[in-house]
Amino acid sequence: MSRFRQPSVLPGFGLTFGFAMFYLSAIVLIPLIALVLKTGTMPWSQFLDVVLHPRSVASYRLSFGTSLLAAGINAVFGFIIAWTLVRYEFPGRKIIDALIDMPFALPTAVSGIALTAVFAQNGWIGRYLEPLGIQVAYTWIGITVALTLIGLPFVVRSLQPALQEVQSDLEDAAETLGAGKFYIFRRIILPTVTPALLTGFALAFARGVGEYGSVIFISGNLPMKTEITPLLIVIRLEEFDYLAAAALGFVMLVISFLMLLGINLLQAWGRRWMVAGNR
Amino acid sequence: MSITLDQVTKRYQGVPVVNDVSLDVREGEFFVLLGPSGSGKSTLLRAIAGLTGIDHGRISLHGRDVTNVGARRRGVGLVFQNYALFRHMTVADNIEFALRVRRVRAHERRQRRKELLRLVALEGLDSRLPTQLSGGQQQRIAVARALAHKPEVLLLDEPFGALDAKIREELRRTIRQVQRELKITTVLVTHDQQEAFALADRIGVMNLGRLLETAEPDELYARPVTRFVATFLGAANLLLARQTAEGISFGAELVDARGVEKVDSGREHEVVAVLRPEEAEIAPTPEALASPFIARGTVDEIAFTGAYERIRIRLNDDTAAHLIGPDGSADSGLLEASRTQHEQRSFSVARGQQVAIGMRRVHVLPTPLSSFTVCAATSDEAAQLSRHPFLVDLAARMKTRVALRVESALAGTGSGATPSGGDSSGVAVLAAGPDVIAQIEWLFHRGAAEALVLPAPPTTPKRVVIHWLERTARRGTLAVSASLLRHVPAEAVFFGILPKDTSGDARSVGMRTLLDARSEAQAVHGLEMRTELRFGDIAQELAAQLGESRDQMLILGISDITSLRERFSALLTAAPGWPLLVVYRPRDDARRE
Repeated sequence: MSRFRQPSVLPGFGLTFGFAMFYLSAIVLIPLIALVLKTGTMPWSQFLDVVLHPRSVASYRLSFGTSLLAAGINAVFGFIIAWTLVRYEFPGRKIIDALIDMPFALPTAVSGIALTAVFAQNGWIGRYLEPLGIQVAYTWIGITVALTLIGLPFVVRSLQPALQEVQSDLEDAAETLGAGKFYIFRRIILPTVTPALLTGFALAFARGVGEYGSVIFISGNLPMKTEITPLLIVIRLEEFDYLAAAALGFVMLVISFLMLLGINLLQAWGRRWMVAGNR
Repeated sequence: MSITLDQVTKRYQGVPVVNDVSLDVREGEFFVLLGPSGSGKSTLLRAIAGLTGIDHGRISLHGRDVTNVGARRRGVGLVFQNYALFRHMTVADNIEFALRVRRVRAHERRQRRKELLRLVALEGLDSRLPTQLSGGQQQRIAVARALAHKPEVLLLDEPFGALDAKIREELRRTIRQVQRELKITTVLVTHDQQEAFALADRIGVMNLGRLLETAEPDELYARPVTRFVATFLGAANLLLARQTAEGISFGAELVDARGVEKVDSGREHEVVAVLRPEEAEIAPTPEALASPFIARGTVDEIAFTGAYERIRIRLNDDTAAHLIGPDGSADSGLLEASRTQHEQRSFSVARGQQVAIGMRRVHVLPTPLSSFTVCAATSDEAAQLSRHPFLVDLAARMKTRVALRVESALAGTGSGATPSGGDSSGVAVLAAGPDVIAQIEWLFHRGAAEALVLPAPPTTPKRVVIHWLERTARRGTLAVSASLLRHVPAEAVFFGILPKDTSGDARSVGMRTLLDARSEAQAVHGLEMRTELRFGDIAQELAAQLGESRDQMLILGISDITSLRERFSALLTAAPGWPLLVVYRPRDDARRE
């Protein structure tokens, strides 16, 4: 026990550590263990039947595919937004900054319905996309749009402090040393904010995988086409097939865990590579 | 010349933060730009580095005009206060950064890196990350990095600011050594005068965007020209004194002229004298002093600082009036003296003890603006005028005193009143109004040499227009302008105005006069000003210039009191919205100068 001890301003390591463990268990671990245990009561063949059912596999692909795509889009545009907000002073900056958090606060159903209304064939934006042959609502594109909206604040909020930390002094220093703008961006700014960018990406991705409320309104929920895994779980529940729902939930848990682990490893590896690679 | 700045000006939102700075830094010189925060020194350094564009002027490095060359291609090395090391790179990568950008081959890079690490005495730390180093080590790496591409000029922006005292000293020595070894022209920016003294071959002191004085450290300390430099470089007691042919006097005491530099003016006038604490002598009685006696006082406070003892002495009332307090007020009446251990042993003092003070050496500032005297007909008016924001600001910046003088003769036209016999000291300050010309005339006839007329609305001039009517007033006007502009963050423009029908020959003479004025301002008074030539009626031209924009000020030199009424009555009686400073230098006076 004593080797865990660290000097700290918070009193009583035992108390705080105990509380942290209890809190984590009650809120996160116990429900997850219950899920795993519930799945464990299933015969192996039935489990495979459920999780490898074509409808299930299609939903995984859709859920994780759109989440990755949306997180990717957010990584690029979230970076630009965060950059603008941190680096420039313009009227209305504070308001835009506050608006970024709106997707956090909005009930997801509301954003789903709003997006559907806008992107439907006769909606404000949908009616202009229709003649171009692009249908957003009730397709995977619509799901991606919804997940992009939901994930944006994660990327922007992760990046802002990191960008603030890249003092303009660093850029000035690089400039006096002879570096051009692009070189500075590639070798100074990007490496410095990459960890934060990856964190934001991972958070936006995780949120996308778990998103339910907004997606079900815009997706149309066609089995095999626009049916996401969380929806499939709800459908199974409504059929009182608790075991199948638990099995699907378990699969999502495992895939999510593996992907987040992957991103974290990438981050750690990236740090080492950056140090070693420049030698 | 290694670095040449020619009238460099940088404005932020119309306010000049670097104001007409001209400077030559010699080859291999260690030059220190010293000034309080906000004096524009860092902006100037960034302008030299090319990180900040300038609004006016030229910058050249080794004879190459780089005014419009970006920081990338200036070939300078810059070191920042917060190190600005790339934290995701190792020490080696940081140092090699400039070489990598220039695609230098790997083995050459490695060689240069080893060389630089040896230079800053940090061999073997190549593979560390900056976060694994102490602040002092990080700053050494930053220095090494800035030198990697063999820059022609090394610029250091408060490089020791974030370090504690001991490391600071060590790093100071390292940087001096590196600079000597490489013989690289170096400019360092700091607000710490100890640092400046320790490092500099020459020091340039900046305040309010202006480069006030440039000299070697000892010269600057012993013979400052401005009161700002006198008080910024170490402690200084500023005393108002009267300079006469025999010496200088504080109240009744005439101090003989030994140790006082000669100031070129025969006329008896008020001056500002600088008495360094270590030049003040303390003894039990005036007879026991080895140096000229100036005043008696009571020991108010004694502070032991190790090698020295600092004593604050409350002067007896009559002399205290001549002491300018550190904040410009005259009420403190405390004179600071410092004594060595040796002096303490020969005469030890205690709080409350009566002592006699002598001055071993005193330096008279060659500034024509010593103090301000607000002149008004009633004490209410005088008190009100003395609170004018421009005057309060100016007095605080000049660290001088504002006295009040109530003259009933100033009411009405003032003509026919009998002189009250009070001696005139410093700049007379008047409120703008219809009678102002008569009031100025009255004061000038009674010994005043400068009159400052303040408009009712508060102003902060951004541009000062300078003009003199008679050539004989030129020198005095330039001296006063230079003195004033050291304390006002404004640009100075001299207008030469010739009649409309001037012939071609006369025009070129006018042009030459203009250039002469500029070079005299620069050489004799250290004032950078711009010059413009106009044709037409003088009063009309000046009115047009001053009407152009708000926040201006006029300095007008005259040798003939009547010319004010003859030429400017229209301009002055209409209650102008700008401050006016009239400088009166009679002809015979000018001849003696």
